[in-house]
Amino acid sequence: MQTIKQTSPYVRKAVSTKRMMIDVLIALIPAVSFAIYRFGFDALIRIIVSLIVMIGLEAVAFGMMHKPAKSEKFSERLKSRYTDYTINNITAPAVSAIIFAMIIPSQLPIYAVVVGAAFGVIIVKMLFGGLGSNIFNIAAAGRIFIGLALTNMFAGAYVGIDFIAGGTALTTIRSGLLFPQALNSYSISDLFFGNIPGSMGEISALAILIGAAYLLIRKSADYRVMLSSTLTFVILMLLVGLKLYPDQAFTYVAYQLFAGGLLFGVVFMITDPVTSPVTRPGRWIYGLMVGALVVLIRLFGAYPEGFAFALLFSNMFVPLIDYPKWATNKIKPAFIIGYAVALILLGLVVFFGVGGVA
Amino acid sequence: MIAKTKYIPDGKKELKELPIIHYLDAEYVYYPVTSARCPEGETCVIGGQFVKVGEIIGTRKGAFFEQPMHATVSGEVVGNEKHIDQSGKLVDCLIVKNDKKYTMHSTIVERSDEEIDQLTKEDFIKIVKDAGLVGLGGSAFPTYIKLETKDTIDVVIANGVECEPNLISDYGLMMTDPRSVIEGLIYAMKASGAKKGVIAIKKKYSVIEERLNFCLHSFSNYDIKIVKVGNYYPQGWELAMIKNALGIKIPQGELLSKYGVLNFNVSTLQSIYNAVKKRLPVLERLFTISGDGIHNKNFRARIGTLVTELIALAGGYKNPEQPKVMILGGPMMGTNIMRDDVVMTHTTTSLIVMNDNPIKEEACVHCASCVYSCPVEIQPVQIMNAYKVKDKEMLKTLEVNKCIECGLCSYVCPSKIHLTEYMRLGKRLAK
Repeated sequence: MQTIKQTSPYVRKAVSTKRMMIDVLIALIPAVSFAIYRFGFDALIRIIVSLIVMIGLEAVAFGMMHKPAKSEKFSERLKSRYTDYTINNITAPAVSAIIFAMIIPSQLPIYAVVVGAAFGVIIVKMLFGGLGSNIFNIAAAGRIFIGLALTNMFAGAYVGIDFIAGGTALTTIRSGLLFPQALNSYSISDLFFGNIPGSMGEISALAILIGAAYLLIRKSADYRVMLSSTLTFVILMLLVGLKLYPDQAFTYVAYQLFAGGLLFGVVFMITDPVTSPVTRPGRWIYGLMVGALVVLIRLFGAYPEGFAFALLFSNMFVPLIDYPKWATNKIKPAFIIGYAVALILLGLVVFFGVGGVA
Repeated sequence: MIAKTKYIPDGKKELKELPIIHYLDAEYVYYPVTSARCPEGETCVIGGQFVKVGEIIGTRKGAFFEQPMHATVSGEVVGNEKHIDQSGKLVDCLIVKNDKKYTMHSTIVERSDEEIDQLTKEDFIKIVKDAGLVGLGGSAFPTYIKLETKDTIDVVIANGVECEPNLISDYGLMMTDPRSVIEGLIYAMKASGAKKGVIAIKKKYSVIEERLNFCLHSFSNYDIKIVKVGNYYPQGWELAMIKNALGIKIPQGELLSKYGVLNFNVSTLQSIYNAVKKRLPVLERLFTISGDGIHNKNFRARIGTLVTELIALAGGYKNPEQPKVMILGGPMMGTNIMRDDVVMTHTTTSLIVMNDNPIKEEACVHCASCVYSCPVEIQPVQIMNAYKVKDKEMLKTLEVNKCIECGLCSYVCPSKIHLTEYMRLGKRLAK
């Protein structure tokens, strides 16, 4: 009888990265179905293009990154490059591809979709070392890249509430947010069920929340980042609402919450574990950062799709949050105080930023 | 998945239902002259000499203590042979040919209750030392050194948690002989001067609670309580157990006695009872054979029995053509062995044979399951990264030495990365 040398532990939990990725794909089903229902063939073709580009380019890059075995035949050499190629090299880019397709408008030219997806998978993911090594969220980086490089292609394609909710400039806060005027065309329930224009996957809060529930039940996403970012966002927006529209403060918060890319991002984008910190306090801080940045960009910035920017910006701070000299998994009093103080300070900034006491 | 893992399937239910076979027919028994804690040792018997149960046949020498070896059968000393011991190392063993009569040595006489009442702290320590008692939970740390402490002890805690899967030795003991555990606890309280005794068991073991409570009625003049702690892993780790049972948080690396606590495994307490009351050394242990690569059985066998015989008795391996992984101890922290001629020692309670199931590692996705699950709250994934770049300073900052090698980080990893191995390598590098 042959005995195998191993070291403890000898048993493993029945979980896998594959399962985690497939869970995200399952959680995306409601949002994807709704997008296809709303935008029909336009949505479908963009999702498929994004999938083909991301999975295909990842496969090509993967092959180029692995050394072939010495062999006369080309086919054998080619095959040897793919000995480590696993199901995760398909599911992981598939997740990124669908998320990317969900945060672009349905009328965006196919050319832009290809460029964004290619940028995301090649520059942001594979050049950094492939699965698990990227610092930036792939879908968000792809989206920002085409947003900046191909701005003209968004003209006309990018209609609707997202632009409105994105805000324009500090000077136009009182008039430019289109609140509450936007509510004349679309009620809060329209926003919730997705009866509005906008990026493909971001419009129906309901579909996204169903996905969120699935992710949380399966524990394939961390509730801490979701909760922390939503909490920060709601608190800050409530302050703004109380200041600007004292009668409609809560409607204002609901409007901000359901319009635009926030909900989709909170559920599917910041929960991406690869670009998250690895400690409990770290994830709370990360969530706070994203939530606060979205608020700041929406109120004082001049760019729609604030969420992707907030996410990329926070991604840069992950190595800092994780730096072992101070990163700890214990929830210490210093962390709780620091979190509360940061929230209060941000509240003050926002409150005075929109007009304050005056 | 991305959450703290505390429960692991323990596979004990089926094992508990198996009958326990009392095996006394070993032709030869083997006594390792050295052990992991005692690198040197010598025997004081010669070939051909007849020894009886409980007779001293040699001494093992550790760094700061000596440990007598006792014969557990009666018979003739026939020579030496090399076999594997608990730690998986090849050691020299003394062989005794069993005459199967189990004649007791003349020193083995019961103490009366009056005699025991007159024993002082020093007497207790001497008895425990002479019986060669060690921590039977797996540490094999000499028990008398724990009792010798100069600190004031408030409470003696009996650890009956046994959180590793597949191990049922302590459970079996508390089911069959709860009285000896309680009496052992009382002796340990007397020896250390503690007023209180606590028996910690798992929450789900209400049967054991009933049995212990039933026995406790006859000891109502002692302050002994049963505390139920969670069914978690690694709840049996003494610091986790003490924290949940007593509410005392002891930092790692500190002596328990400084906090007025002494902790013994329930089997150790039974051995204290046997040593004090019956003047017996540890003679037998419950030995479980489990796993999907072998026919499962429970045995009660003498120390020194060769495990090969027990395996044959159980029915041997299943599908011998399939490669197997053999483990002494539990599946989370046990020792890997390459051959089965293991000699039963004080701390041998389980053999697991599993069909080999090759695990393929994938890329880390930073899900942080390992960080969330770590019972000592260090960050396995960061330690792995620091080890990969051989950053000694960073390893120290990350407190890799706190790791108790419980195996949870490897267990929970969805990418099947063997983090526990990185922890060991990291510890070695950081030294």
